[in-house]
Amino acid sequence: MVTSNSEQDDLMGLLIAVSREDRLAFQRLYEKISGRMFGLCLKLASQRDLAEEAVQDAFVQIWHHAGEYHSERGAPLSWMLTIARYRTLDLMRNRKSRPTSGDAHLERVADERDGPLDESLRVAGTAELRGCLDELSETQRDSILLSYYRGFTHDELSEALSSPIGTVKSWIRRGLMALKRCLER
Amino acid sequence: MKKTPERIEALAAEYVLGSLHGAARRRFERWMMESVRVRQEVWFWEEKLGHLGARIEEEQPPASVWAGIERRLWPQTGNAVSAEAANDASGRWFWPGWSMLATAAALVLAVVLVQQPEPEMDDRLSGAIVQADVSDPLWLVSESSLDRQLKLRPVAATAAQQGKDYELWIVPADGQPLSLGVIPVGGTYQVTLDDETRALLSNSRTLAISLEPVGGSPTGQPTGPILHVAKLYEL
Repeated sequence: MVTSNSEQDDLMGLLIAVSREDRLAFQRLYEKISGRMFGLCLKLASQRDLAEEAVQDAFVQIWHHAGEYHSERGAPLSWMLTIARYRTLDLMRNRKSRPTSGDAHLERVADERDGPLDESLRVAGTAELRGCLDELSETQRDSILLSYYRGFTHDELSEALSSPIGTVKSWIRRGLMALKRCLER
Repeated sequence: MKKTPERIEALAAEYVLGSLHGAARRRFERWMMESVRVRQEVWFWEEKLGHLGARIEEEQPPASVWAGIERRLWPQTGNAVSAEAANDASGRWFWPGWSMLATAAALVLAVVLVQQPEPEMDDRLSGAIVQADVSDPLWLVSESSLDRQLKLRPVAATAAQQGKDYELWIVPADGQPLSLGVIPVGGTYQVTLDDETRALLSNSRTLAISLEPVGGSPTGQPTGPILHVAKLYEL
């Protein structure tokens, strides 16, 4: 699933139309990207109802804020997926903060039969960041990808990777800085 | 905590990744409001990490998701529900989510420190309504407990499109937004706040501007797109 320049141009055109309150363009935008957005939210939350709510919220925001997109914020698709991702993380945190659902995410971690990170995601992530992820240690890379794709908190990472929280935090911090140095080269 | 380049760099990355939580996340959001440099660092990571999202396996959401979006955005055109009931429902959903909108969407807020000598005790709220692609704030907002006036001074704001008006709202911590009237074109807009209104504002410190038909919302609640949300700060 590669996003070509011409697709980004299409999305840009649709976003501009949406900023002028063009409902038809908004519907086309939804048809084009809702599958990818829902896939991302679902991967992150592992809960269908939460992912559905996040996609709804994200599109409502896109409708209201399309005019505020600008190229410094990344390609149009990345920008829209980022909105959905933040919304998913917010909803996940809200649910976790409720005392009654406290164990739900632990079950999720415990239930990962093939390890928490699919091989396909590891490969995809590596390809997208111009090979820079390859320059990180395996633990740095996995903790970054688990945070990104699965929304793991430090606690969950510590459990999933069987390492102390302090260690996990340092993997993330150092990994991100090494990634930045590589991306800036 | 000081905004050193190293801290900005490290925290922006963790913010976008999602591993920055709780008070640290909120403090960083405050930094984003205050500094273009911080926002640019966040955008760098949103752009880079955003590529990761494009590679996930697609999954079509159920049709109810699109139906829900339409219901929220255009409740008045819904077939099954009456306009008023739908509007009510969407309002209940929409408003609590605004604090998040203000940080995660492209909208960026700024703190404007208005330096004014204050001989008497005066609680002041201040802020700016800004737009990411416009370097100057659209409006500067100030509110003073002494003269009970909320002032909205246009800086880079332009008139609403033909046939539309901007309407100003207080977004309470919970409940429906309260209209502060239609913002006239040009000149400073001043509203006198009664005790109740002032309490609402000093509690939530959140204002919003929506695009409405000329003369303002016909329903008493926002009907058009919400253009801006701004948080005020105590000076």
